[in-house]
Amino acid sequence: MATAIEAPRAPAQRFAATPGQMLLAALIALFLALFLVIPVITVIYVAFTEKGTGAFTLINFYDFARTDLFIASFWNSMYVAAMTVVLASLFALPLAYLTTRFEFRGAGIVQMLGFIPLIMPPFAGAVAMQLLFGRNGTINLLLDDWFGFKIPFMEGLNGVVFAQAVHYFPFILINLSAALRNIDRSMEEAAQNLGSHGFRLFRRVVFPLAMPGYIAGASLVFVKVFDDLATPLLLNVKDMLAPQAYLRITSIGLADPMGYVIAVVLIVVSVAAMGASAWVMKGRDYATVQRGGGGLSKRPMNRSQAIGAYAVVLLILFLVLAPHIGLFLLSIATVWSFSPLPDGYTFAHYARVFAESSVFIKNTLLYATLAGIIDVVLGTAIAYLVLRTKLPGRHWLDWTASAALAIPGVVLGIGYLRTFFDVKMPDGTSFASFWIVIVLALAIRRLPYALRACYAALQQVSASLEEAAENLGATKSRTVRRIVLPLMMGGILAGFVTSFATAAVELSATLMLVQSTSDAPLAYGLYVFMQSPAGRGPGAALGIIAVLLVAVCTLISNWIIERNQHLRSTRT
Amino acid sequence: MRAFVQLMALAALAALSPAQAQAPTGKVTVLTSFSKDVTDPFKKAFEAAHPGTTVEIQNRNTNAGVKLLEETRSVNQVDIFWASAPDAFEVLKGKKLLQLYKPKAAGIPAKIGAYPINDPDGYYSGFAASGYGIMWNERYAKANKLPDPKEWQDLAKPVYFDHVSIAAPSRSGTTHLTIETILQGEGWDKGWRTIKEWSGNLRNVTERSFGVPDAVNSGQVGYGIVIDFFAFSAQGAGFPVKFVYPTVTTIVPANVGIVANPPNKATAEAFVEYLLSPAGQEVLLDKGIRRLPVRPETYAKAPADYPNPFKDPSLGGKVTFDSGLSSARTAVVDTLYDQLVTFQLDGLKAATKAIHAAEAALAKKDNAAGRAALKEARDLVAKMPVTAEQAASPEIRAAFTGGKEKSARQAELEQQWAASAKAAYAAAEAKANEAAKLAR
Amino acid sequence: MSDRQGVAVEVQNVDLSYGTNHILKDVSLSVRPGEFFAFLGPSGCGKTTLLRLIAGFNQADRGEVRLGGMDISHLPPWRRDVGMVFQSYALWPHMTVARNVAFGLEERKMPRAEIASKVKSALALVGLEALADRYPSQLSGGQQQRVALARTIAVEPKVLLLDEPLSNLDAKMRVQVRRELRDLQQRLGLTTIFVTHDQEEANSICDRIAVLNDGAVQQVGTPMELYQRPANLFVASFLGTANILPGRIAGDGAGRIFAISDGAELPLPPGQLPPKQSKLVFRPQHAALNPAGSPGLAGTIAHREFLGAVVRYGVSIAGTEILVESPFGSAEDLRDIGSPVSVAVDVERVHFLDA
Repeated sequence: MATAIEAPRAPAQRFAATPGQMLLAALIALFLALFLVIPVITVIYVAFTEKGTGAFTLINFYDFARTDLFIASFWNSMYVAAMTVVLASLFALPLAYLTTRFEFRGAGIVQMLGFIPLIMPPFAGAVAMQLLFGRNGTINLLLDDWFGFKIPFMEGLNGVVFAQAVHYFPFILINLSAALRNIDRSMEEAAQNLGSHGFRLFRRVVFPLAMPGYIAGASLVFVKVFDDLATPLLLNVKDMLAPQAYLRITSIGLADPMGYVIAVVLIVVSVAAMGASAWVMKGRDYATVQRGGGGLSKRPMNRSQAIGAYAVVLLILFLVLAPHIGLFLLSIATVWSFSPLPDGYTFAHYARVFAESSVFIKNTLLYATLAGIIDVVLGTAIAYLVLRTKLPGRHWLDWTASAALAIPGVVLGIGYLRTFFDVKMPDGTSFASFWIVIVLALAIRRLPYALRACYAALQQVSASLEEAAENLGATKSRTVRRIVLPLMMGGILAGFVTSFATAAVELSATLMLVQSTSDAPLAYGLYVFMQSPAGRGPGAALGIIAVLLVAVCTLISNWIIERNQHLRSTRT
Repeated sequence: MRAFVQLMALAALAALSPAQAQAPTGKVTVLTSFSKDVTDPFKKAFEAAHPGTTVEIQNRNTNAGVKLLEETRSVNQVDIFWASAPDAFEVLKGKKLLQLYKPKAAGIPAKIGAYPINDPDGYYSGFAASGYGIMWNERYAKANKLPDPKEWQDLAKPVYFDHVSIAAPSRSGTTHLTIETILQGEGWDKGWRTIKEWSGNLRNVTERSFGVPDAVNSGQVGYGIVIDFFAFSAQGAGFPVKFVYPTVTTIVPANVGIVANPPNKATAEAFVEYLLSPAGQEVLLDKGIRRLPVRPETYAKAPADYPNPFKDPSLGGKVTFDSGLSSARTAVVDTLYDQLVTFQLDGLKAATKAIHAAEAALAKKDNAAGRAALKEARDLVAKMPVTAEQAASPEIRAAFTGGKEKSARQAELEQQWAASAKAAYAAAEAKANEAAKLAR
Repeated sequence: MSDRQGVAVEVQNVDLSYGTNHILKDVSLSVRPGEFFAFLGPSGCGKTTLLRLIAGFNQADRGEVRLGGMDISHLPPWRRDVGMVFQSYALWPHMTVARNVAFGLEERKMPRAEIASKVKSALALVGLEALADRYPSQLSGGQQQRVALARTIAVEPKVLLLDEPLSNLDAKMRVQVRRELRDLQQRLGLTTIFVTHDQEEANSICDRIAVLNDGAVQQVGTPMELYQRPANLFVASFLGTANILPGRIAGDGAGRIFAISDGAELPLPPGQLPPKQSKLVFRPQHAALNPAGSPGLAGTIAHREFLGAVVRYGVSIAGTEILVESPFGSAEDLRDIGSPVSVAVDVERVHFLDA
């Protein structure tokens, strides 16, 4: 008898998760399958079929390997992605280092302005950069006038590198700044105390410690640039992989397998790059190793250092904000042709945009907000399942959702058309023409960003806080609602902002999915405007409005995050 | 007042024809490659003429529009396809994606230049005419001291090296027509020679039609090969640009057609009728649009210097465009251009530059052997991997459609063509350098 | 490295403010060569700020820091030759133990072979040669602490600064490590400054202590001096336990008394001439409990704490509580709560300190 009573009661231990958690996981899996996996597979399976017959074959990959153009494109894409990481690092490192490690007046503004380049409506950025840095742009016209030479900023692969670095460097800036802020000041002081300073200190101690953040940002830049097609195409660089895939799919036809072969190559390289960065960083997350609340050390600068620092920061800011400066000039220009500055200025373009295009603005706000909400809900749920349950296969949710990062927007757009066109709505129209599909595509495209933010936020919430709540009688779901979510709020909002801001200017998937102008978002409106000579000004004005809109929303969210964190820190 | 008159006219028209008994109403969805500058005035005018209707514009480039109609044929929601390139309409017609409709509007001639305005089978109608030509930025030309071009061949002159831009024919229905026009006008081999000669002077090959006028407008590139209205509307917007029609050009109609199984047939038909009506034709004169009306009487209301193909016999009279031949070899011509020019531009430019240099050297100090080497270099550049007959042969066409007769896969052909072009351009560059050396 | 001569550290009239926050107020002190010196005080007293000032991580608004007679106030941290062990140890997680220890030597551009031998002997000094290739995250707290120490002494600094080096260790380790620290310091003869808020730590290993409070030095002296002759009420109460009683002085000559309140009076020894406004201070062990009615202050036992060797009683006397410690003999000797007693204060050992 006694032994029977003492026998361990196993059943409570056997299930790795509650029924509610399992249901949640199943729903997320279904969502990802429907809106990510199946659409992508319907597109890329073409890569494995014979043209005309549809029979399974690998011959297309053989053709890919034998075609000089594709192989050259592959290496060009590699070169551009890698060099962009280098140049973006040159932009991001001084900004991140100077603003986080020194007493730098206006550090907050610099960090905020450093985020702006990410909010660049497609087309507009390259158009504006051409006007400033192009062969006959402002800078080169002036250089030619004064000194009789020109600098080929925007020519060929290196032009793409320049434009991409300007656009994507905030990924490195944001991640690196966060990592630098997490370095306990005693780490640096110990090095100084042992005789190290200046660049050696940075190279030997600060940078290695910030490496996880840097790698996270750099791999993101690499993948985004590797997969991006708009910028190379606008700069007339076609011998890169993503442009080749796009050109083939949209001009040779949906039945041509080579476009999809390239898409498969893009996806494989992107996933490999993300995987490699995760592998390199394995066990190197120093943030948790560093104890001792030394906090952040901000060193003062002497006069000459300060002048140098401000000069560097201003130069970088000018470079990275140049597209916005150019776009603003264009939006108030009458005619701007082969001259350093526009011929005249007017506000008529804004008037036209407000008169004709308020529906774009409304749609953009609606879509980006919905996409952001979907992302943080999914992101929080996945992060919770991965970090707080033992559900088998939970990592697959994480990996699948993150893989969306590697899916080119065009592939997703075509996949949606293929998958959902035959799905009829109650009123007989196709599901694919319903505007919600645009929202879903935006949400899936931005999910990886939001997921990482939510994941990081949940990692910082100690599990003991939840255990305390459960110990006091709260159920799992109530614990999540009353303890976990409020503590994660800062990270969730950060995820929302990233999703929202980037979704608001996304075009590649949208362009395939917009079925009518009344459902179109701002980026699409801008694209349409930019297709006519008289539309350049209004297009630029719409672009500026988009940037302002996103910037204001970002500011508000930032303010909320900071207030939230402030409240939390004063309470403890 | 004008709208009222139009309304009365249409009401009268409707009363006369029993087929029009159904009054146009509701939403008509128009898939178009035209920019807002073109679509907005028409949308406004049509909605004013037909109260109770709304025009829903879907903007796509021509190729993407065709793809969309193909992909979505089972659940079509588009009433009207409205674009420039007759080729695209031929493709749609071939795939049975257009509805047969013969417009009732009277007073439109059968031909503009040498080109029939409407589809003889009645699947689509021309509503405006456009010709292809050369557009340039005056400030750019002045700063670089470049002369005004008149003919395609002018663009092959050494002075224009690195100053010209074109949209890839595979990406732009209008450029495709330009290439096809030259090929039909000059013949396959001579045509390609001309095309490659000025292509060697290209600054870049863009992937959007509008990329070319955009670059010319902003002065990033000096000269662009474009459809006329890009230049006219740029002039209308105040840009310092000029435009010329070369002799070998064709004036072709921009078209409108009703998509098969349109959701709103009555309004779709009304839209087509409106485009062809005198009121609709006048909208074409809008300074943001500037296309050539297909109604001769509309020109009376146009500004003085407006080109009039019905009056000026030199406009598009030289070439009789064979759209059957064109559509049979569309994919081959586009792919050839991409593989021989677009993706080999560096090699082609290097060879062209060397040829220009040799030419200059020989002009200073003539040398027969040098001349011969130069000619060899030119021939190498002009060399084509396929003949006109091969280009239209079922074997090669099947490689592009995946049909049974194919002798090779498309990717294989592309690699062959690209490799032959690359080798030829390298050899041409070497020959030209040899010629230059001989002249020294 | 053992035959180095220690150098003196002098801090003179140092003031330091962050905005309106006056952190250090006219601090002056001097540490003798080879001395083991402590900065002791409650948290927020400015002791760590003062240490960091010596290391060069803070800049004084006024005053100077001298090392072996040389003003180093304007030298950056990396030129000061002052070794510091951080409270968090600040071991770099991306480097092995050996790389951590080699760091400072590499910064000094020493030849490779010399670095290797110095790393080895520094690790030997703290008994961690076997762990040279481990990463810091693979070490225990005590081991990390020793690596941090080895890393600092490897560069043979003129002065060793220790910022609460024992605070991240458990109680047992703390006692062991502090002995090791003392031994090491003695062997090296290195001038060492030790920051702590724990008086026991300071008392047990330091030659002299500077007690800081509110940004100012309260008193400097050996542990015994501070305990026996606290310069002010803060030092008295911060070091050990003290009874601090308000009251007034009355009477004259031999009849002079200190009146805590009506009826509770202490006779004062004739030699003492305390100022009018002062408080009476004495240690709990300098009073004894006698049976009720004996001469002394009458009161009742309010609470009792058993501390092992001694028993500490709280005796309520006319509304004031006085702590008295008596040696623990046996359970029978214990006095119960509520029982009346008389407290006899050893008047020879009381102090009067300014209120």
